[in-house]
Amino acid sequence: MILAVNWSHVWMVTGLGFMMVITLLVVLIFILKLLGAAISGAVKAPKASAPKASAPAATVAAAPASNGADDDLAAIAMALHLYFNGVHDVEPTEIHIKRVERSGWNSKLYGMNNLHR
Amino acid sequence: MGDILEFFEQMGFMNITWQQGLMLLISFFLLYLAIKKQYEPLLLLPIAFGMLLTNLPGAGMYHSELWSAFLDANSPAYHSYGTIMREGGLLDILYIGVKAGVYPCLIFMGVGAMTDFGPLIANPKSLLLGAAAQLGIFLTFLAANAMGFTEAEAGSIGIIGGADGPTSIFLTSKLAPQLLGPIAIAAYSYMALVPVIQPPIMRALTTKKERAIKMSQLRPVSKTEKIIFPIAITTIVALILPDAAPLIGCLMLGNLAKECGVVDRLSKTMQNELMNIVVIFLGLTVGATATAESFLNIRTIMIMSMGIVAFGCGTAGGILLAKLMNVFSKEKINPLIGSAGVSAVPMAARVSQQVGQEENPSNFLLMHAMGPNVAGVIGSAVAAGILLTMLG
Repeated sequence: MILAVNWSHVWMVTGLGFMMVITLLVVLIFILKLLGAAISGAVKAPKASAPKASAPAATVAAAPASNGADDDLAAIAMALHLYFNGVHDVEPTEIHIKRVERSGWNSKLYGMNNLHR
Repeated sequence: MGDILEFFEQMGFMNITWQQGLMLLISFFLLYLAIKKQYEPLLLLPIAFGMLLTNLPGAGMYHSELWSAFLDANSPAYHSYGTIMREGGLLDILYIGVKAGVYPCLIFMGVGAMTDFGPLIANPKSLLLGAAAQLGIFLTFLAANAMGFTEAEAGSIGIIGGADGPTSIFLTSKLAPQLLGPIAIAAYSYMALVPVIQPPIMRALTTKKERAIKMSQLRPVSKTEKIIFPIAITTIVALILPDAAPLIGCLMLGNLAKECGVVDRLSKTMQNELMNIVVIFLGLTVGATATAESFLNIRTIMIMSMGIVAFGCGTAGGILLAKLMNVFSKEKINPLIGSAGVSAVPMAARVSQQVGQEENPSNFLLMHAMGPNVAGVIGSAVAAGILLTMLG
């Protein structure tokens, strides 16, 4: 049974097939890296031309820290920004109570019939 | 009296063979696994029920002889869908979608719409792990040839190692349609058993120190990158390997619909309604191909045993390449993420996370493992395209 197999072709399919999978995916790696570099370059360009801001939020965000701390600092910076610039949501202090009006829909009185005695 | 006797003679009970009885028992067992143990219930339940329906004598829902004639070049019904529509049962008609390779592509569309390729774009090196995990496909192809299967059949058996049900069905329907039932069931069963098959191999091939390696956080990926990715991958892969275009094209179409943000309705339909409908049809019809005569033979047992070898080799291939990459690169990779290179999304990535946390509870490998995991989907589709080109 084993002798009947065209082993040279089988080995060719195995070796060439696997190498092709690897090669194709390596090509994709280069393309993805290129894509990433091109897009991040395009994104970074306007940042470089931006004026050096002295806002507290920007100062805090620029501080070197680990990834977890970055998130905390970003949250604190956002809170300070909202507080100092008065952007935080303001609750209205007025209380509105709508006067209830009686009608045939909500009052029993209007729905009662006169009883004939 | 004659009518009553005739009625009794037509009853399934009077016509059932022991092989059909055994297949019914197997289907009950699979239903038990799906419902009670919840092993991949979305797939296993329709597959098991399809198996139940097809093995009920006299029900006439699926006719394997019609499909044999469909494949026989000397038969008048050769490649005649008209004959199937005219003489087939419900499951025969639904099975046309499998035969024509439509369902696997539609499922890939849904998979694409549900997949975030961000971890792969952030760390393109993980594509290498996805490629290495395809080793199982080609080693099993060798083994299946040695066991007496034809090259086309061996290619279809090997693709089980890609751990990707739709890809296995797509390739088998083209190369060796007569083996579709056992191969589909092997592929889906082993996918469900990823949490059982992979951890012992992962522990055997890695040291405690390697399993505890922490990886640095992935870079954020911009929306533009996520939109360009599916377009670029489709164009490049289809230009290099046209046979992989149906699978990769549908996968990336689904992903583009999700990422572009302008066709939310289409994206949701692909993820939910379309995907669910196709899963029902595919599961039922794949289960229906598991008739007693096609399933209960030595070849099925050989396919099932080679399927597990394919899975194991794929897992080992990913882990070993991750270890090799650690020798050459400064930034260490946890080799456990290599096992996620067999596609089985997202179970394989979840297994990497679980095994990693056993060694180091503060280690979160899930997102790192998702890179090789989705790379495995691309890798297995590419491998299927290559096998189709070489053996089809």
